[in-house]
Amino acid sequence: MYLRAANINIDDSVLVQQSQMGDTTAMERLILKYQNRIYNVILKMCGNPDDAAELVQEAFVKVIESIDKFQGKSSFYTWLFRIAVNLTLNHCQRSSRTAARSLDAEETEPDGTTSLMLRDCLSDERAVDPAAVAQSRELCELARKCLLKLEEPQRAVVVLRDIEGMDYAQIAEVLNIELGTVRSRLSRARGNLREILEAMLK
Amino acid sequence: MKPNPNLDELLSSFMDGELSPRQRTEVQRMAAHDPAVARRLRQLQNCRTLFCSLPPAEAPGDLLEQIKHTLERKTLLQEHPVSSRRTAGVVHLVFRKLVAAAAMIALLATLGVVVYQVVAPVPGSGPLVATAPNPLPPAVEDLGGAAPALAMVDAGFSGRLELRTAAFGSTDAFVRREIQTCGLTNLSEAGTADDQRVYQVAGTRNSVNRLIASLGGVWEDFDSAALSVGSPDGRATPVTIESVTPEQIVAVVDRSSTEASIETAATYAVMNRVMRNAPGGDLPPITNDSGGLWAMDAIPMPKLTGPERPIDATHTPVQGSAQASLTIVLLRTTR
Repeated sequence: MYLRAANINIDDSVLVQQSQMGDTTAMERLILKYQNRIYNVILKMCGNPDDAAELVQEAFVKVIESIDKFQGKSSFYTWLFRIAVNLTLNHCQRSSRTAARSLDAEETEPDGTTSLMLRDCLSDERAVDPAAVAQSRELCELARKCLLKLEEPQRAVVVLRDIEGMDYAQIAEVLNIELGTVRSRLSRARGNLREILEAMLK
Repeated sequence: MKPNPNLDELLSSFMDGELSPRQRTEVQRMAAHDPAVARRLRQLQNCRTLFCSLPPAEAPGDLLEQIKHTLERKTLLQEHPVSSRRTAGVVHLVFRKLVAAAAMIALLATLGVVVYQVVAPVPGSGPLVATAPNPLPPAVEDLGGAAPALAMVDAGFSGRLELRTAAFGSTDAFVRREIQTCGLTNLSEAGTADDQRVYQVAGTRNSVNRLIASLGGVWEDFDSAALSVGSPDGRATPVTIESVTPEQIVAVVDRSSTEASIETAATYAVMNRVMRNAPGGDLPPITNDSGGLWAMDAIPMPKLTGPERPIDATHTPVQGSAQASLTIVLLRTTR
């Protein structure tokens, strides 16, 4: 999973050049290449599939309109995610109160199986099986709700690192922050997530 | 174990592979020798595994189509931006105002013309104003002094014919009789009976021409004949035709306007002067542009409507219809 970001720059520069010369097929290939990644990141950040669909569409339209201004100083990958994440953060800030209220209303107690798996994730006795986590729909839903309880800046670094698989340098470039800020923010975000999960078990 | 922020940051970076080899070795050594660090590292790794294992979501299948649709909609909106639509609206309003203003001006102009036609005096329809449009020749003024002003609205021809003759008595009687025969109004008759007589006649151009045509029968009795032609209002410089012939007088009087009469008179004046100065006194032919010849024969003769026609002696032409006035000065000469 962490190898996702490693292979993304293949042929990007060529496709970008062709897009800048008016080749719509090249732009379509770029969209098809990144649409799921972008949508996944946006959805994990905003939590609403409809909003995510609209935001990903808006992000790609912005990319198409601005492709002529792209000078290649950064990679197309980080440039694309920077546009998408900024749009999503703005959207989240606008609807933060509404989202918080809906989360509070939807807060539910995990059932027995989910609680057991969650205790395993929080224990330090043995490593958790990722496949088992992925198969538990309730646990995944719980994790998504935990993410949405984080503040937007911390949510962004966790999503970009643990879900999209970016390295610290790429996260710093996307969020336009220092590398050390990424390091400390990510550490605090993980600590907060653990506290949120622990609170769910009590 | 109580969370240590610095340790958590170090362990977090260790999990993400973001430490230098030396730092990585150091963390491995700490975790190996300190069970609390090892537990904390496992807690963080398990927690991260939870979020890393979340199944990825897939974008809507019609995303590409939606993007194309959005772009097309934006392109259409840019072709008719709001500002241009507003500008078009403003232009339309201004155009409507201009059209309304133009229509108002046209309406006012039409009304003005209608009002003017109603209010303005129509020429000839108003009361006749007695004027003295025809400055009488000096001889008349000198001789008569009391010659009444011609009350003519449209006196198209004004002339003075000076005739010198040795047969003064018979000619004088002939002229007087022909004036009456032709139905002309003898407005003034002055002068001594012995050597000079002045007749001021007015009538239509035809009646004046009939008189001249009649005088043509005794024209050989005149030693000299000179016609001065001017405008009734005295603005134009009078033109004098020396050695004028009856045909020439008829041609001058027969013109349709004062200017044309003066122009014709000027032509005859030049022609007669040239003819007098030419050897033998013959008139040289004048070639026009089309190669034809102009000669005296080309001058139209007056259309005599029958001097034998009985004339009502009491007939008096309406002053308003009089278009010609002619002052005939008859002078006695001694041979």
